[in-house]
This record gives sequence, C-alpha cells and structure tokens, in this order.
Amino acid sequence: MTLALNLDRKAEAAAVVHSHGVPHRRIEEWKYSDLKSALGEKGLGAVTAGWLVGNLPSGVEMFDLAQPDPPPWVMDHFARPTQNVMRAASLVLSAGGVALRVPAGAQIADVLKLDFTGPGHVRGLLVLEGGAALTLVEGVGQKNIETDFRNVGFEIVLGEGASLEHVRISPADGQAVLVEAASVHLAARAHYRAHFAGFGSKLSRMELDIALEGEGAEAHLSGVAVLDAHAHSDVTTHVIHRVGNTNSTQLFKHVASGSARAVYQGKVTVAKGADGSDSNQSAKALLLGDAAEADLKPELEIFADDVKCAHGAAVGDLDAESLFYLRARGIPEGQARGLLLQAFLEDAVAEIGHTDLRERVAAELLTALKAVA
Amino acid sequence: MLEIKNLHVAVDGKEILKGLSLTIGAGEVHAIMGPNGSGKSTLSYVLAGRAGYDITQGSILYKGEDLAALAPEQRAAKGVFLAMQYPVEIPGVTTMTFLKTALNSQRRARGESDLDAVGVLKLVRAKAKTLNVSEEMLKRALNVGFSGGEKKRLEILQMAIFEPKLAILDETDSGLDIDALRLVAEGVNALRDPSRAMLVITHYQRLLDYIVPDRIHVLAKGRIVAEGGKELALELEAKGYEHIVKEPA
Amino acid sequence: MSIAAETKQQVAEIGEKYKYGFVTDIEMERAPKGLSEDTVRYISAKKGEPDWMLEWRLGAFKRWQAMTEPKWARVHYPQIDYQNAYYYAAPKNTPKKQSLDEVDPKLLETYKKLGIPLHEQMALAGVAVDAVFDSVSVATTFKEKLNEAGVIFCPISEAIRDYPDLVKQYLGSVVPVTDNFFATLNAAVFSDGTFVYVPKGVRCPMELSTYFRINASETGQFERTLIIADEGSYVSYLEGCTAPKRDENQLHAAVVELVALDDAEIKYSTVQNWYPGDENGLGGIFNFVTKRGDCRGKKSKISWTQVETGSAITWKYPSCILRGEGSVGEFYSIAIANHYQQADTGTKMIHLGANTKSRIISKGISAGKAQNTYRGLVSVYGKAKNARNYTQCDSLLIGGDCGAHTVPYIESRNKSARIEHEATTSKIAEDQLFYCLARGIPQDEAVSLIVNGFCREVLQQLPMEFAVEAQKLVGISLEGSVG
Repeated sequence: MTLALNLDRKAEAAAVVHSHGVPHRRIEEWKYSDLKSALGEKGLGAVTAGWLVGNLPSGVEMFDLAQPDPPPWVMDHFARPTQNVMRAASLVLSAGGVALRVPAGAQIADVLKLDFTGPGHVRGLLVLEGGAALTLVEGVGQKNIETDFRNVGFEIVLGEGASLEHVRISPADGQAVLVEAASVHLAARAHYRAHFAGFGSKLSRMELDIALEGEGAEAHLSGVAVLDAHAHSDVTTHVIHRVGNTNSTQLFKHVASGSARAVYQGKVTVAKGADGSDSNQSAKALLLGDAAEADLKPELEIFADDVKCAHGAAVGDLDAESLFYLRARGIPEGQARGLLLQAFLEDAVAEIGHTDLRERVAAELLTALKAVA
Repeated sequence: MLEIKNLHVAVDGKEILKGLSLTIGAGEVHAIMGPNGSGKSTLSYVLAGRAGYDITQGSILYKGEDLAALAPEQRAAKGVFLAMQYPVEIPGVTTMTFLKTALNSQRRARGESDLDAVGVLKLVRAKAKTLNVSEEMLKRALNVGFSGGEKKRLEILQMAIFEPKLAILDETDSGLDIDALRLVAEGVNALRDPSRAMLVITHYQRLLDYIVPDRIHVLAKGRIVAEGGKELALELEAKGYEHIVKEPA
Repeated sequence: MSIAAETKQQVAEIGEKYKYGFVTDIEMERAPKGLSEDTVRYISAKKGEPDWMLEWRLGAFKRWQAMTEPKWARVHYPQIDYQNAYYYAAPKNTPKKQSLDEVDPKLLETYKKLGIPLHEQMALAGVAVDAVFDSVSVATTFKEKLNEAGVIFCPISEAIRDYPDLVKQYLGSVVPVTDNFFATLNAAVFSDGTFVYVPKGVRCPMELSTYFRINASETGQFERTLIIADEGSYVSYLEGCTAPKRDENQLHAAVVELVALDDAEIKYSTVQNWYPGDENGLGGIFNFVTKRGDCRGKKSKISWTQVETGSAITWKYPSCILRGEGSVGEFYSIAIANHYQQADTGTKMIHLGANTKSRIISKGISAGKAQNTYRGLVSVYGKAKNARNYTQCDSLLIGGDCGAHTVPYIESRNKSARIEHEATTSKIAEDQLFYCLARGIPQDEAVSLIVNGFCREVLQQLPMEFAVEAQKLVGISLEGSVG
C-alpha cells in the first residue's frame, strides 16, 4: 500500500502484533477461543484476502485500498491506532481492502452488499458522513472458496446523525477460521444497529469495539447463532459510553448442539462523567447437545454514577413445561422443539430493521434449526 | 370412552394416586372434586401424558386403547384434550401460529390433509367470536401478558377448535371472576355432545352450578372416596370435605 | 433507638477518626525481618511443630519463590517488598493460660476498646471466642461445652500437635499448597489460625467465633483456618476483624478451607472492617484471602456470607466446589468501598456433581473515589446433570468519582443445567433520599437507611448478633459519602 500516512501506523500496529503474538486461551479476551491452536503451525500468515462489492448503490463512493493516492476521506479515517491485536494484524499483514463513503445527508435506499473472500488478511473502511444513512450486509454474496483462515479488520465511522444498519451472516463454514475485528465510532446522534447471524465454523469470532463519542449516540446490537457438530462461534463486544446521554442495547441468543461451543463476551464501559448513559445487555444460550458448551461473560465497567446499566444472562435447555403444552395440543415433539427454538431466537431476529434481511436471516435459521432440533 | 382401573401414580418416587378407578361414557360429564393435595392435577397430567408422572400400577383405557403407551401428541391427535390450570406462556410464538400448527399436526396424525392458512383463519375467527377472543389476542405471543380470564378463554377456544372426544378441564374456574366464569362455562356447555366425554376437575362447587355434571367423584388422598349425582356437590359445599373424607369409602 | 439513629450517634462519638485506630502497647516478639527458608524454620520452631509440618511449609516456600503475584484483579497498589516485612510476631509474655484472669490486662483492655468485652460477649451471646491477637491464640473458652459434644475448636497450632491425622488428611486438600501466590505464601509462613472438627451427626451447640486483630506494625498476618464438618453435622462459624490504625500498608493473606462431608452443613459468616486507610488513601490493610469450601459429600451445604467494609485492598473469592451429588453452595456478599478503597471480590461455584445447586447474591456499594468489582465464576461440568445456579448482582454508586464493575463468567457444559444471572448498576436514588430528607431524616442516616435496604437480602443471612453490627458498619463506612 502506498499510503504514506500508513507507514507510522503500520509500525505501531506491528508493535502491537509483536507484543501480543497470536492470541491464545491464556489471554483473558481469548479465554474461550484459542486462535493459536486453531491456526496451528501456519500462524497468521501474510496473505492479502479479497473483497467483493456485489452492488454499489449510486451515491456511495468506493476506493480500492491497494491503489495509490487515496482521497482525503480515506486519509482522515483509515487505520486509527488500536490495541486490538487482530485489527492491528490485518493492517500489518495485508496489502489491500476496500474503503466506502456515503456523503453527508445521502440516504441510500439500496442495500450495500459487501463480501470478504478467500484466505488472508484484509481491511475495510466505511465512512458515513453527517446525516447519511445506509444498510450494509456482509455474507450474502458468493460462498467462500478454500478459505482456511481469514482476518478482517473493519473500521466504521459514523458522523453526526448518521445511521447505519449492519447485518452480517456467517454461513456454516466447516474448517475455516474466521475472525472479523470491527471498530465503530459514533458521533452525536449517530445510530448503529447491527445484527450477527452465525452458523459456526472451526473457529468464528466477531469482535466489535463500539465507541459512543457524541451525545444521543445509540448502538443496538443483536445476534443469533445456531451451531452444530464441532462449530465454534464467538461474539465479543466492547461498548464504551464516552459521553453522557448515550444508549446501548445488546440481545444475543445462541443455540449449540452436538459438541458445538457458543461464546458471548460483552463488556460495557461507562466513562467518568458519561452521566445519563443507559445500557442493557441480554445473552442467552440453549444447549441441545451432550457435549455442547456455552460460555457467557457479560461485563460492566462503570465509572459514572448517574447511569442505568443492567445485564442478564442465562443458559439452559428448552422449557419442559412449554414442550409438554405444545405436545398435549398434538404437536409432535420434534416440531414442538423447533417451534420453541424459533421462539427463543425470535426477539433477536426481530431487531433487524430491514424487512428483506430479517426474513432472509429467519429463513436461514429455520434451515439450520431443522438440523439441530 | 375412558376406563381407569386401580391407577397408582408416583411423582419423584412418591405415590400420589393410590388405586383410583373411574369410568366415563360417551356424552357424559363427570366432575372430580377434592381438597388440595388430593391428586386432582396429577390425574389430569397423567391422562395427558406429562413426563415424570409414573404409572406404577393399574391401567387407563381410552376407547379401549392403552393410553399410557401413547406420547402426549398422539393422545391429542386421538381426541384427548387437557385444559390446563396454568396455561403456559410461550414468548415468541404467536397464538395464531400455535393454533394453526397444533390443528394441522393433529389432522396430519389422523391422516387428514392440512387446512390452509385461510381455512384455519376462518375456523378460528368463527369460534373466537363466541368466546370473546379478540383478533388482537390471536396476534400476541401465546398466553404472554394474558389475564387469567383470557388464558382460560383461550383454552376453551382450543377445545372448540380441536373438537376432542375426551376433554379434561383442570380447575378451569380458578382465578376467574363471576362474569369470566359464566363465559367460560357457556363455552364448555356449547361443546357438550353425545359423542364427547368431559371430566371437570374442581375444588369448588361453584363451577358445577354452570357446568352441571352427570356424576361427581370425590378424590381424597389419591383415591375416590365418594361418588354420587350432582347433589353431592351441594352436600360437599354444606359440610366440607372433612366430613366425607372421614367416612370409609 | 433505630439502627440508623444508633449509627448516627456512634459516628458522632468517634468523630472523623477510624473507630479502631489505636495501638496496644505490648512488647512484641518478632521473627527477623524478611522472608527466607530461615524465617519459615523460625516460625515452625516457635510453634513447636513436628517435622512433617516444617517440610510442608518448606515445600510451599520453594514453590512460592518461583511464583508471581496475580495481576488480573482490578486493584492497584505499590509493589509489595516481601523482604521488608516481619512474618511472625507474638506478644512476648504469653505462656499457656488456664483462664482469662491470667491474660495480660492490656490485651483485655484492647478488646474492650473494640467493643467486644470478652466475658460479657461470651456470657451474653453464648459464643465461644478463640481470640487471635496478632499471631498467637491467647484465650480459648467454652471448650468444656464443645468437648461434651465432641467438637474440636482450637488454634490450628494446637491441632497440628494434638490431631495430626486430621490435619494431615485435610490441610491443603481444598486449597492446594500451590493454588495461588498468596495461598502458597500463607502455607509457608502461616502463624496460627483456627481448627474446627465437628464429628458425625453433631449439631455444634453454639456459634463459633474468632476475632482477628492485627496489631504489630509492619507485620503480615497469615491466618490459616480449617473447618471439617463430618457426615450429618452442622456448624456456624463467625469471623470478625478489626485492626488498629497504621500508616504503613499491612499485608494479610489468609487461607480458609472448609470441608463438608455427606449431609453436613457449614455456615461461614464474616464481617471484615479492617483499617481501610484514611480519606486520602493513605495506609490500610492489603487483604489477599483465599477462602474455599469443598462440598465433598452428598447433599452437603456450604454457605458463605460476607460483609466487607474494610481494608484498602480486598482480593477475595470465597468459593464452593460442589462435588457431592445434590450439594448446595451459597454466597451472600455486601462489599462497601469508600474513599480510595479497592475491592475485587466475588465467588466461584464449581458444579461437578449431579443435582448441585448454587445461589449468589452480591451487593456492591461504591462511594468516594473507590473501585468496587464483583468477579464471579459459575462453571457447570459435563457430569453436573440438572445443576442450577441463580445469581443476582447489584451495584450502587454514590457520587461520580467511584467505579462499580461486574465481571461474571458463566460456563455450561451440561444441557440439563440451568444458569440465570442478573445484574444491575445504578446510583443511589435521589427521590428516595429526598423523601427521607423531607421526612426529617438527616442525610447520612438516610444513606444508611437506603443502603441497608439495598443490602437487606444479605444482612438477613447473618446470625443475629452479627447482623446488628453489620448494619451499623454499613452506615459508618459510608459516613459523609453524600453531600
């Protein structure tokens, strides 16, 4: 890459990668997802993965990060300093990616379809300027080919009053190790709504660092996972309320059968002085398999006093009472279980604002549930 | 229709029903009355096939078939219906979806074809009207946020839709005020039919003012201790259970 | 007089000063400063220990030298110089006493200042007190009655001598010698502590209680407690702590091991109000404690209740290993951190056996510039069929300069297990405060009232005589936090 600016940032990122090494289970944040052992001897590698924009709605500007002479908006926002080892790695170990920009005030009606493809590291940058609005979907394009490991470093910047709906579908992908480390910065009154539907792979991890940096900023995260066999899915979020009168909600529902493992780690930080912050986290998992495992770590870190923060977490089996009720009304057990699983996931899916995408996720869940119920 | 012989049922290894016998013919309405802890709910659950209620002795024949050998959904398909004392709330499943799924599951099990969405809707709407179940209720998640009366009305609506051959009403009067009780009772009475048997389980005589039974059985400590016509309910009301339970059965 | 009014009066009496900030002038006998194999040998020799105990200590010391201090907790403190502390201190003139009359009157005076007149306390409450003054037990009473029941309640140094088989069998069986940095240090240098054995089928006839007290300057206190409840027995143990005022930070690293066999129950209650340091964060106790209970037997039960209001640093996770089928673990906690206090406390519930149940109720209160962290683990293993856990974890913030943090780990590997966790963080309700003020209740009393209400569920778990003291402490420790 020829971004002059990048040389310094790359050096910083290299230092972060160097000091952390490949994350493994003795590192607190990676306690439940041992990337080092999943990658084995191959390690992180230094291949650049590909990307594909299925359709570029008019009004959205695109720049190939592998090209010289990036426009100023890329220079302004690309490669913010980070301590996140995987985001740093994607900067150091890749030579490409995509940058997208929605200019101030542009309301984009068409869904932007973005896919990262193939093995290696790759970067993404999405900038929504003040008052812009966009729906972004990842994972509905072409199926991955021969991907053993991919690491996506994604930066999202939302200007004042900007609004983004981000839906990411991670199809079941057997032996792949898939990591995406996204950072989202929200200015005042910006809204970020994200939904992550995961069907698991050898190791699949979605990391999200969300900073609410202006008053009235809101982040609403939801997700579902339906995992079978040896699938592993990890959603790790960190929402920071940097200023007051900000709001965040999280609702994650995971189903693990076989010997699958569903991980949710969610940390909410309310910075000193960020009074009037509201945060609510809910994470629930259902275990269907004898060797399935669910790990939940909803964390609160509060440095301001005028706040309302709550989290709830639960792990269990399908409710026996409900199951009996359905069967007593003539619904066969398998179908009754399916119905209850669907109901369990329903409220998280309902969080998706875009109707077509919501229906698409619901349909994929239905298919996946048939395999596990 | 239903023939229970010397039924012993244990829950968690503790015997609750200790030799209960009962026969109900088609077209008959029987009532089971009894104090708390006498085993009334255990009887309803064991008839519907809830897990954890173990038959240790005796038999239940339904239309000559061994009921215990059937899964709960098979019993439902064959016409056994239990209106529950505490209908379960199931968030995320709308009432309408539930009704359609249950109805078509039962039809399929009987070798009948599915009713399409329009057909189900028509059927449900028609029956819902008489029981004062609103469209809005049907759109809500099953029993979630329903009042006690709404839950019970929905149970009776299901009975009307599924048209069972053996209906067991477990404490259907509990938690209902007098108007709600009358509405529910009217719904039940409308379903009285020469081909249908009903077993009404209740603690109080009150419900039996509205649903008048052919026979009353008094259950105490896991056994039937007294039997009689509808006048027995009045006697119980006047003298209390103590009096009857004490007499040798 | 209401509790709140009483609290108010008490606070007025003691003024701004820490209530227990005084030093008893008793000549001390100390081990040489610093920590080496010689220190370990010195302590062992002073206690007249058998060889096996010395070997055990030396083994621990060797392991400790290779270990490093854990850094994962949210507590910050200056590097501890382990070579710049004394590891053994004993009042010099304390040969075995036959009765309390023989005890140094100055010592008894100290207890009086602490508000625990031993005679009265014992007579009134029917509590046997094994009082630990610094490192040597000087008075053990009510032995007769316990003897009758067959209950052994004595300093652990005595148990090592008199009941070596029991000690050998159980010591280190719950908290292994190499469990963690501080526990290993304790194993090497523990000075004394308490030993309890309740025989099969015995319900201990009284609440057992020990008052710990740190007195000598710059002396680490390393208590070791071992409680064994044999099949079908029951014991309730109360631990209370107060310490005098010192500017130097004092290290405390206790280890408590509980073993409950089939159908046995242990209830362990703590009120910890050691010197928290002053309003500017100067001084205060460093409290690194390892407390763990092993529900080894079927249907056994271990219940921890703690009221933590003291210490500059609290690092403490009373835990339950639910090994026995149908065993039950409970953790009820109130942690109050004011001024510059830092508390990182919680529990671990390890479900190994089928049908095991656990319950966690944690109430954290942060005020001043304090940081208060709940850290907890609920882990269900593959064989723990039908395991159940319920956790409720609430934090209350008083003022905008403090922090309240919640770090729960929930791990389930059995599909029939059910785990429920709920947590809330909020500030002290202004409308409640205002309501109290408008009804003429002064500010501090109102805070005390509201916080006591917030903690009610936990306070209810405490034995009567402790509950009253704890309620007062809640008020005292938050004095001046609003305004």
